[in-house]
Amino acid sequence: MKQRALWSAALVVGLVTMAGCGSATGSGNSSGGSADKLVVWDWKSGEASAAQYLDKAKADFAKKHPDVTVEFVAQPFDQYYTLLGAAIQAGKGPDVMLFNGGGQIRDRVDALVPLDEYVAEDKQRLAGWDAFTSDGKTYAGPVTLQGHPIYYNKALYAKAGLDPATPATTWSKFLADCTAIARAGAKCFALGNKEGVGIQFWLSALGSGILTAQEYDDWIAGKRDWNSPNVKRVFALWKEAGEAGLNNDGANSTAMFNDSFAIFQSGKAAHIIGLMSDVGHWKDFNEFLTPENLGVMSAPVVTEGTTPSLAYDGGIGYAVAKWTKDPKIAADLVRSLTSTDALKAFYADAGAVAADTTIDVSQGGAAVAGIVSELKGGKPALHVALSSKTIDLMGRLSQQLLSGSITVDEVVKQLAASDQAG
Amino acid sequence: MPIGNTQPSVRPALAGRTGGPAVDPAARRRPARRAGSGGGLRAERLAPYILVAPAVLIIVLLRLYPLLLGVNFSFTGDGTRNGTAVGIDNYRELLTDPLFRTALGNVGWLVLLLPVAVAIPGLLATFIYLRVPGHRVYRSVYFFPAVLSPVIVGAIFNLLLAFDGPVNAVLGAVGVPPTDWLGNPDIAMFVVVGVHVWATFGMSLVVFLAGFATLDSALLDAARVDGASLPQVIRHVIIPGLSRTIQFVFVTTMIGMLTSMFGLLYVMTSGGPEGSTYLPEYYIWIQQGQMNRPALASAASTVLFVIMLVVGLLQIQLLRRAGKES
Repeated sequence: MKQRALWSAALVVGLVTMAGCGSATGSGNSSGGSADKLVVWDWKSGEASAAQYLDKAKADFAKKHPDVTVEFVAQPFDQYYTLLGAAIQAGKGPDVMLFNGGGQIRDRVDALVPLDEYVAEDKQRLAGWDAFTSDGKTYAGPVTLQGHPIYYNKALYAKAGLDPATPATTWSKFLADCTAIARAGAKCFALGNKEGVGIQFWLSALGSGILTAQEYDDWIAGKRDWNSPNVKRVFALWKEAGEAGLNNDGANSTAMFNDSFAIFQSGKAAHIIGLMSDVGHWKDFNEFLTPENLGVMSAPVVTEGTTPSLAYDGGIGYAVAKWTKDPKIAADLVRSLTSTDALKAFYADAGAVAADTTIDVSQGGAAVAGIVSELKGGKPALHVALSSKTIDLMGRLSQQLLSGSITVDEVVKQLAASDQAG
Repeated sequence: MPIGNTQPSVRPALAGRTGGPAVDPAARRRPARRAGSGGGLRAERLAPYILVAPAVLIIVLLRLYPLLLGVNFSFTGDGTRNGTAVGIDNYRELLTDPLFRTALGNVGWLVLLLPVAVAIPGLLATFIYLRVPGHRVYRSVYFFPAVLSPVIVGAIFNLLLAFDGPVNAVLGAVGVPPTDWLGNPDIAMFVVVGVHVWATFGMSLVVFLAGFATLDSALLDAARVDGASLPQVIRHVIIPGLSRTIQFVFVTTMIGMLTSMFGLLYVMTSGGPEGSTYLPEYYIWIQQGQMNRPALASAASTVLFVIMLVVGLLQIQLLRRAGKES
């Protein structure tokens, strides 16, 4: 018994002396790479739909640097950032790597080279730079754009006696259309909020019709007034839409990926706030609904005087690691990976809205043409500006709003507290 | 060869042990001393340490050291405070996080639901033992879900329990209004636990059947001759006869519930709706993987470890007492 007590005491003493030493993530510095070979990490190069894109990019790069070989290493996406973090710490990372725009790249700019001097020529041709910019410096060349257009099913519009060519431009007209659609036996919105993602799409897709231009820009700049009546309106409309039965039944137990998309594709709901690239987008919907029956509409105006705009950001982009031997060569590879020819192949095969706004998309159907025409006036998505903690909280609160167990005032109060805490 | 020297000295000790518990432990040690004289003594003293060293090293390096590291990390900060000591800030944050409190509350629910999770396989095993018609079929059918992975089970029940899924369709056919099984925060946790019990009770059932094999059938026959009803047979013959089996199933079911619900939660509810189906494990995973808060996750892991330690010690206590009784 005495010995056991002694051991416990030793353990406690050990713990106390050790407590708070070291760190949970570690902090390594890195160096590596090779002069005549560039290693690229991504999660796309293994897919058949990206083969053409990579061939075009490699050919473009070979013209500029015939003596440098390029190796693409496809990593599984669900472990991508874990592997990348480990590589960054070990100092044996790739020379060029793919990133999601926003927080994922901003968290890791310490390991990246600013590309501004190398990509100056591309600034006009490509869109979506903001998502790869931190403190005024650009860290990646955008490949695709990601955003939240409102898609609608023209066949259901016709069935409900509405004109498929002129979707509603105001909220009241939109609600009236939804009533007609309900009479035709379909729901207004296909909504999957099991993961709490639905509210993010809602906020970003409808925000430009609810917040004033000033409020919108302030929001993106980090000056968010959660007590503004328009911000409350975003959440009030979400609640009202749920109560009015505009969404499919059981939205809180329907997965956004991909059950809600399936609801829209099967014609059970007339609208969906979807994506521009990768999944849940025009190419997927075209397959089921045919390009003729798929439309894209602007956000209905809720607050008078607002001008709705498309919410989008840079989707994915290639960045250059700090430890690469010659950043100029690596930056040239990034430029090849974002060249017009390569991106054209990516748009056509993978079904993404490429960052290159000069690509002709008229063959892809009315929906994608509509999206691309809106890019010029588009703005960054509202939810992307929030921290992952606030987004997680917003997801749970949105579920409570749908089930009616919380008030809008309480929601904005909690979100404001989380947002201000960082 | 020191180990060769020790061998004969061990044998009498072993022989002494087989002789029964009456042998005095001191007497058992004595012959060993005598044989290992001179240089052999030192080697003999070291031998046990060398022999247990591999096991101890594995435990220390792969279990205790990471455990201490984790505890240690829980006192450091995340993000900009990475690597600096922050005292008990992480634990304070855990206490104020409603999500973590929900997760702990759900652990409480699991403990409360434990008797149900044990009673179901126990009752079904009883029926099989009493040879209800078709008992052979049931025996294999009941075990079948136990071989499915939680992800597959989760996917199956996601389809079945969807709002427009078959379960609601069947209920609708008999006039019951549809229920959002996985979207209603008041019932989602119970649905997931129910699915977990469905998926795992097969294993407990097998353990119960093994326990029944040791039951004296003469007692059952005697009870029947005396005219005991089925509930009376269960209450007065089967439960006392199976007390150790029941306790074993309690322990294993509890461990299973606390440690292997992650797959089901991940697939069926993702912790939702409204965070109502969070368990500490899921919370740890979210904080570490999604929120980039490894230090906070370490703190949550430490709390979970302490809970498991307390539950484990209580159960060992219980088993020891039961052992003494029998």
